[in-house]
Amino acid sequence: MTATTVTSQAAQTPEPLNTPDSGGRVRVRASRLVLYTVLVVITGLMLGPFGWLVITGLKTTPELAASPVHWLPETFQWHNFADAFTKIEYLGYTRNSLIISLIYAILVTLSSAWVGFGFARLNAPGKKILFGVLLGSMMLPQMITLFPTYLIFAKIGMVDTYWPWVLWGMASAPYLVFLFRQFFAGMPRELEEAAIVDGVGYAGIFWRIFLPQSWPVLTASFVIAFTWSWGDFIAPMLLLSSDKTTLSVALMTSYVTEAGMPVNNLLAAGSVMYVVPILLIFLVAQRGFVAGMSTTGLK
Amino acid sequence: MTVGQIPEIPQVTGQPRKVARTGAVRSGDLPRTSMTARRHRAFYMFTSPWIIGFLLLTIGPMAYALWLSFTTFDGISPNWKYVGFGNYQELLSDSVTWDSLGRAGLFAITSVPLSIIAGMGLAVLVNRPLKARGLWRTLLYLPAVVPPVGAGLIFKQLFNRDSGATNGVLNIFGIDAIAWLDDPYARYVILMAVLWAAGNIMIISLAGLQDVPRELHEAARIDGASAWRTFRSITVPLLSPVLLFQAVTGMIASVQTIMPMLLAADASPKGVTSIPQSNYMYMMHVFAEYFALGRYGYGSALLWVLFVLILIATGLIFKFTSGVVFYNVDPEAKK
Repeated sequence: MTATTVTSQAAQTPEPLNTPDSGGRVRVRASRLVLYTVLVVITGLMLGPFGWLVITGLKTTPELAASPVHWLPETFQWHNFADAFTKIEYLGYTRNSLIISLIYAILVTLSSAWVGFGFARLNAPGKKILFGVLLGSMMLPQMITLFPTYLIFAKIGMVDTYWPWVLWGMASAPYLVFLFRQFFAGMPRELEEAAIVDGVGYAGIFWRIFLPQSWPVLTASFVIAFTWSWGDFIAPMLLLSSDKTTLSVALMTSYVTEAGMPVNNLLAAGSVMYVVPILLIFLVAQRGFVAGMSTTGLK
Repeated sequence: MTVGQIPEIPQVTGQPRKVARTGAVRSGDLPRTSMTARRHRAFYMFTSPWIIGFLLLTIGPMAYALWLSFTTFDGISPNWKYVGFGNYQELLSDSVTWDSLGRAGLFAITSVPLSIIAGMGLAVLVNRPLKARGLWRTLLYLPAVVPPVGAGLIFKQLFNRDSGATNGVLNIFGIDAIAWLDDPYARYVILMAVLWAAGNIMIISLAGLQDVPRELHEAARIDGASAWRTFRSITVPLLSPVLLFQAVTGMIASVQTIMPMLLAADASPKGVTSIPQSNYMYMMHVFAEYFALGRYGYGSALLWVLFVLILIATGLIFKFTSGVVFYNVDPEAKK
């Protein structure tokens, strides 16, 4: 709310600029100062929690119990990061998370592109209804279907395997289908006309002409699916046993003493190593990601 | 934007499609009917992964849950039985159900408007001419990239009673340490965790803001409209489809949030029952009935009630906003 009022004051500045008195310039400078102050404060509040996580990860256990709060650790306990690695099977859980996220992200990106191509470039009776159902299913709370899905997976013996993620990946995700559909619908018609004349089938058109041109959306879709799966908690917690489970679940449950008390400094150090890769993936893929999001009009 | 754009697309792509279709028939040797049939078959070949997946992984489980909701199935006892609407009757007289539903409703009607306001505020802020504008946007968006588990872990440290920064700041002002993650404060921590990710709405609103035609703002300025008036009468109406979409998806997301579990001391099926009372929302109640107590029949009835309530809420949001939401249907106006 503060943001809006502050910027609306700033929006008035172009007018005083036209009058050649120095008061206008002072006002412009003052409003810019306010604008940047607000920006710095808000950004500080948004990034502060990350900083606190790192600081907590660098303290000793007695320091964490001290009152009042120590703002900085006496000595930086860098070994906490190494300890966080050995306290739980960090690498093993990371590997599980990577396997699940890669399986899911690759499959769901390809299947969603495939389905999206169908909705964008082909026609058949019933298409309108199907597209309506697709859009409607985006609104369906996933938690509602997950609980009975768990019971079904338990019944057919897919609990404690990675098959659920293969199935979810192959089934495509409505949100990503829509993303691809918007992108493909905007591509020029001539692309496939020539191919049809040459006798290339639709599958060939999809693989050889459309897919190689859709890197921005493919990146966006992969990043969305990967981070979603990497950060998922409920599905792996319900479906996987404690040694097959993902890093998300292990972090939430495993950093405890034998008495069951949380080991906060190691947990924080472990959390840093869990969050940072996601931030890095986002920062690296950001350009393609944003391009993909904006070209598809999914805003 | 999504909601607003869907009806437009067929107009844009539909026109050249017809031309192209006849063109292809003329140049190819195949008769028109087989071309059409081929296209129809191809459509179903391409959409079949989603159709089959939707039937097996969405409709199937939902139907299964509907059937279970009429039984006393618990996964263990072999003599479970059909009880008709018994579970639904029990649900109506279960005060935990009503209380948790009330908490979920309260959370939805506070968190959704607050995060939309915060997200739009941020969008307006970083839409101003700034130095290193891209950097500010990225930094403000960064928390939204963090998955829920990460946010839960971060907020648990931030609001820890002994070692949390929040109590450290309060201590400077001479305020005693607060047990943030317990009753009655836990609800505010959840709200702050939601607001922390307002960057999502910022990015979406930003895209909407950039679509607002410049001339409209210039015309308003020439007419002497104040900045606030311009914002209220031009920016907000043009953003309204985006905001509507955010309201609906935000409501659905808030109802199924697992944040109470992630902020709880014990994030496991058993730990659900020890979640602070003020965070014990409907979804946690369902989770407890399902996985802590194994009452799949009753839990499924709870799920179906939630599903129907969400449908009704979505319908009501669309109904009450139909006169207010402004869809930019004139394609010329966008340029």
